[in-house]
Amino acid sequence: MVKRLYDIALLFKEYVLFAFFAVVSIGLLALNDTPQIRSLRSLTVLSVGFMQDALSVVPNYFDLRRENSTLRELNLTLTDEVSRLREARLENIRLSQLLGLKEKGHYGYCAANIIGKTLQLLRNTITLDIGERDGVRVNMPIVSESGVVGRIAATSSRYSVGQILLNRELRVSAKDQRSRVDGIVRWEGGRMLTLQNVVKTMDVKPGDLVITSEYSTLFPPGIAIGVVNATHLTPGSLFQSVEISPGVDFTRLEEVFVITTQPDTSRTAAEAKIKP
Amino acid sequence: MRQAVGYVLFSCLLVLLQTTLIRYLAVGTVGPDILLIWLVYLAMREGQATATAAGFFLGLAVDLLSGSDSMIGLAALSKTVAGFTAGFFHDENKVLQNLGGFQYPLITAVVSLVHNILYFIVFLQGTDAGWLNAVTFYGAPATLYTTALTLIPMFVFARRLRTQL
Repeated sequence: MVKRLYDIALLFKEYVLFAFFAVVSIGLLALNDTPQIRSLRSLTVLSVGFMQDALSVVPNYFDLRRENSTLRELNLTLTDEVSRLREARLENIRLSQLLGLKEKGHYGYCAANIIGKTLQLLRNTITLDIGERDGVRVNMPIVSESGVVGRIAATSSRYSVGQILLNRELRVSAKDQRSRVDGIVRWEGGRMLTLQNVVKTMDVKPGDLVITSEYSTLFPPGIAIGVVNATHLTPGSLFQSVEISPGVDFTRLEEVFVITTQPDTSRTAAEAKIKP
Repeated sequence: MRQAVGYVLFSCLLVLLQTTLIRYLAVGTVGPDILLIWLVYLAMREGQATATAAGFFLGLAVDLLSGSDSMIGLAALSKTVAGFTAGFFHDENKVLQNLGGFQYPLITAVVSLVHNILYFIVFLQGTDAGWLNAVTFYGAPATLYTTALTLIPMFVFARRLRTQL
């Protein structure tokens, strides 16, 4: 083998010699640090880069296979990460909105996650992951950044159950924010709430915001309940039926606040004295 | 062996001449390259391999003796290429005929042009001066001068050829 190589080198000795001396000369040239050589170096780098770029279109099967495998793994990892980041972002938005609500109010708030929910019954409830040890008591209002959610109906040390607006047993004193007309909000089934006890002549229009009123002994005044969707005049009745679209989307609700500030007991005691 | 030593000694003498005295033969900035004439002679006489090796060592010697202005390796590279190019014209059956005829200056002209083009391409890299201008206004006159100087050895070999005949 070596002999064969030697024979070939001997056969082309002129070319071998030329290549050798040319390489040595170029090597010596490269040792110089003159502007010409620097320019040649940059030209060489440019040419080599161009060649590499041109040759990179030729695929290497084994490299491609390994690269594909690596990319698939990376894709899986990144997809998982994107999913978790998206979830975190949504949670961040929700919590920021809740935080905004907390900062706006002057009450004590206790944040809670909804860990159970019923929406198909006549007495719908939500179960929260906070209880008496967190300061939660029966009748405390439950709110979200969109408005009134309901009230605490039962508690244990670690959990509590709340009646939501979509519950036939819950009634909330409310008023039209624009015209200040009072009424009682209750749910009679379906997707809408009803504002009752509104006399036909009262000024209530679709689009008006309905909020909790000062008459409520449970809810602080001014918390949004929903928006008037339509008004119906029933023949032979003194009152009109006001249909309200709830501000809270109960199907998507995940986090809420319980207002832990207790109502003024002296007020309820005073009112109790004159009740028939 | 004696011939090889003679070649080496004569080469050393020519290198010294080229780097010292040849400037006195220059017309303006254009001077002849006697090493190229010698290189073509070696190529015609001894063949391509010898001329290539001689080109490298002659060029390297010029690089080393030219002072701080030169780029070490540039003359070595251009003279290696020149020797290699000259070697293509080697014909061992017509050595004296070629040296004593107009083939000698013609081959020298071709080799000198190749040498000068390569030299200026590298030497003028990164400068504003165009290498084509440099070859036209310096390389080509230098080639002509070198070619003209080749006529002297050519006539010497022509006389020797006539004597042999």
